[in-house]
Amino acid sequence: MKRLQFDYFMKIDYSEAVSLCHFTIKCFPKNTLRQRVEGVSIALSPAVPYSIGADSFGNRQIYGRDDIAHHSFSFRITGKVRTGLSGWEEEADVDQAAVFRYPHGLNQAGESLRAYHDEIGKELPEDTYEKSLLMMHRLYQDFAYEKGATDMNTTAEEAFRLGKGVCQDYAHILIALLQMEGIPARYVTGMLIGEGASHAWVEVLYQSRWYGLDPTNDSPVADAHIKIGVGREASDCLINRGIMHGGGTQVQTIEVIVSEED
Amino acid sequence: MSRGKRFLWYRKLFRIYEAAKQISQSSFARFFIETRASFLKTGRRLLSWRKDSGDFSKAGVGFIWGRTMNERMSRLELLQHTDAVNELLARYGVKFGIYKNNEFKEQLFPFDAIPRVIECEEFAFLERGLKQRVMALNLFLKDIYSKKQIVKDKVVPEDFIFASSGYMAECEGAMPPKGIYSHISGIDLVKGKDEKWYILEDNLRVPSGASYPMIAREFCRRSSPNTFHDNHLEDNRNYAALLRRTMDYVNTGGHTVILTPGRYNAAYFEHSYLAEKTGAHLVNGSELMVEDDKLYYVAVDGRRERVGAVYRRISDEYLDPMNFKPESLIGIPHIYDVFRKGNVALLNAPGNGVADDKGIYYFVPKMIRYYLDEEPILSNAPTYLPFYEEDMRYVLEHFDELVLKDVAEAGGYGVVFGRSMSKTQKEAFIALLKREPRRFIAQEIIDFQDLDILEGGSVIPRKADLRAFVLMAEEPVVWKSGLTRFSRNPDSFIVNSSQGGGFKDTWVLSR
Repeated sequence: MKRLQFDYFMKIDYSEAVSLCHFTIKCFPKNTLRQRVEGVSIALSPAVPYSIGADSFGNRQIYGRDDIAHHSFSFRITGKVRTGLSGWEEEADVDQAAVFRYPHGLNQAGESLRAYHDEIGKELPEDTYEKSLLMMHRLYQDFAYEKGATDMNTTAEEAFRLGKGVCQDYAHILIALLQMEGIPARYVTGMLIGEGASHAWVEVLYQSRWYGLDPTNDSPVADAHIKIGVGREASDCLINRGIMHGGGTQVQTIEVIVSEED
Repeated sequence: MSRGKRFLWYRKLFRIYEAAKQISQSSFARFFIETRASFLKTGRRLLSWRKDSGDFSKAGVGFIWGRTMNERMSRLELLQHTDAVNELLARYGVKFGIYKNNEFKEQLFPFDAIPRVIECEEFAFLERGLKQRVMALNLFLKDIYSKKQIVKDKVVPEDFIFASSGYMAECEGAMPPKGIYSHISGIDLVKGKDEKWYILEDNLRVPSGASYPMIAREFCRRSSPNTFHDNHLEDNRNYAALLRRTMDYVNTGGHTVILTPGRYNAAYFEHSYLAEKTGAHLVNGSELMVEDDKLYYVAVDGRRERVGAVYRRISDEYLDPMNFKPESLIGIPHIYDVFRKGNVALLNAPGNGVADDKGIYYFVPKMIRYYLDEEPILSNAPTYLPFYEEDMRYVLEHFDELVLKDVAEAGGYGVVFGRSMSKTQKEAFIALLKREPRRFIAQEIIDFQDLDILEGGSVIPRKADLRAFVLMAEEPVVWKSGLTRFSRNPDSFIVNSSQGGGFKDTWVLSR
């Protein structure tokens, strides 16, 4: 069990003024069985009014618009979370969770991923959780972490062919592999001690419970992770999503600090 | 006849009816009897029932009736005005747009003046069946986007929900105002040569077409008032009032608008026509904005006015770039968030595709039994799901007798007839079918009735279907008319405006 404090900062600088923008931010850690949120605060700049709601995956979100010309947009979310309170994240309604058994968008498998699944499929154990762990180990061995090789819109199949990518790609590939086994699996966004950016991992359904698996680090999720959002794939739970009029070229900066409270 | 005698007489008729039901095997006769049975309930048309009942088992009865009706119709004075009506339709811009080779073209929608006539009792039967179907479909949508009881109870396999392209996980848990998902449903039917109506498909997303018979009727009345004096038919000009009532019923406070993607949309004529007739504002996405969880119409002078209901004529994916396709330029950012908060009604609700998918069609009769505990009044075309092993076997054995449909396609595309494939095509198709069994449904080819159309002064037969419109407010209401479309090619079974063809007015007799 850990007491973590986090500071998530995102800023976009525009070369030209943005006359109108719409934004949705899904950056609120949620209370689960494994983690308890103890206070969160958010600051937007420019300080525009916003609405608060939740999406269909239960992710809390704030959203709104800014129609005063601006050259940058940023937000900072800080808070404290107790983690490692349970071995699993949440209890699940199996019928509702069934949607995560089906590929969607970026976690779509193709020929090479299917061939890979056939190859590793032979040596898998019966037990769903054991099976998931083994698939994660295999992926960790056969896939290399490398920034810049892929982008936000790279599919599981494309990343797998490249053989390298970032946490998003690890997560999409593992989801695709688990779904080929008929196991419901979902995408998770969050933060991790020691990472300077946001992180992504996977949750797998086992005995009506969601368990976190972090394929980028080849480990089950215990107390080093702060969970933010879930979805079928990355685009369901983007931490920030926006549309803007104007803006020219843009530079995005993300700074995340997660540390253990003394 | 005294009351007592009449009662005995009814009872006697009822017994004959019951007996006839036992004897008759042909579905036509069954249909005929069912229809007549509804007279029994109302006690009307006793004599005509008696006259017909002697002959109920002979399939000829309806045919003779049909022929006389046809004869009557072909003598209509109205037909002399076909050109005048078509000219008016062109002048008023009654067109639909199609994209061909990436180019937008507007086409006139040819109007044939011989109406499709549906007898009063026959329509009453359709009406009951359509209401029942739309009620069940609405309950299904409500269930799917919340508890999914029908999946839990194994009536519909989860594959047909979650792997369906029409299912939108983004819509989970968002309850539309008054729980209505499909406010305006377009149900396509055909009448078989066996005199039986079959449901061809349900359209619960953005069904179009009501405006065509509305305006055609208007012009016909203008060109040939006598026709409408001599024939007793239901006035179909009430569609606007029905639609308005449907929109008002779910309005959460504020204006009602019709949202169009603009004049390059296939059904743009309809959007503007319905706006005019219902008194709703015709708007495009850039005239609507979201602020503080409410939707506003921004007038030309910058004034903002609350909007409580949006009859949106753009598809789900393009409705809101912040919740659906981010590249959409015609949508309204955050409109779905406003909907989720219950502050605006969207007609129809996003996510309806999961209920009108070709794959889910198979399950609609099961839904009717499941949600309403009633037997389906209207039949589906006999359908097989290769997803089930037993059905796969049947499909492979009877391949040449079936029509195969790709569930992901619409508008008459992705439809192939087993018999018209070459040997190699067939082999390739069967391989695909075995690989992706869920992707296809197979149906018996319904030999549906021809309707007469006028072409170059002579009367020729063409395949035709009927799109019936069901509007859902407190209760479902079936519009007493509909869009009858006919195919352009004599051998074509595909009746769809995107594939050419024209339309007819649909007359529902009032007595």
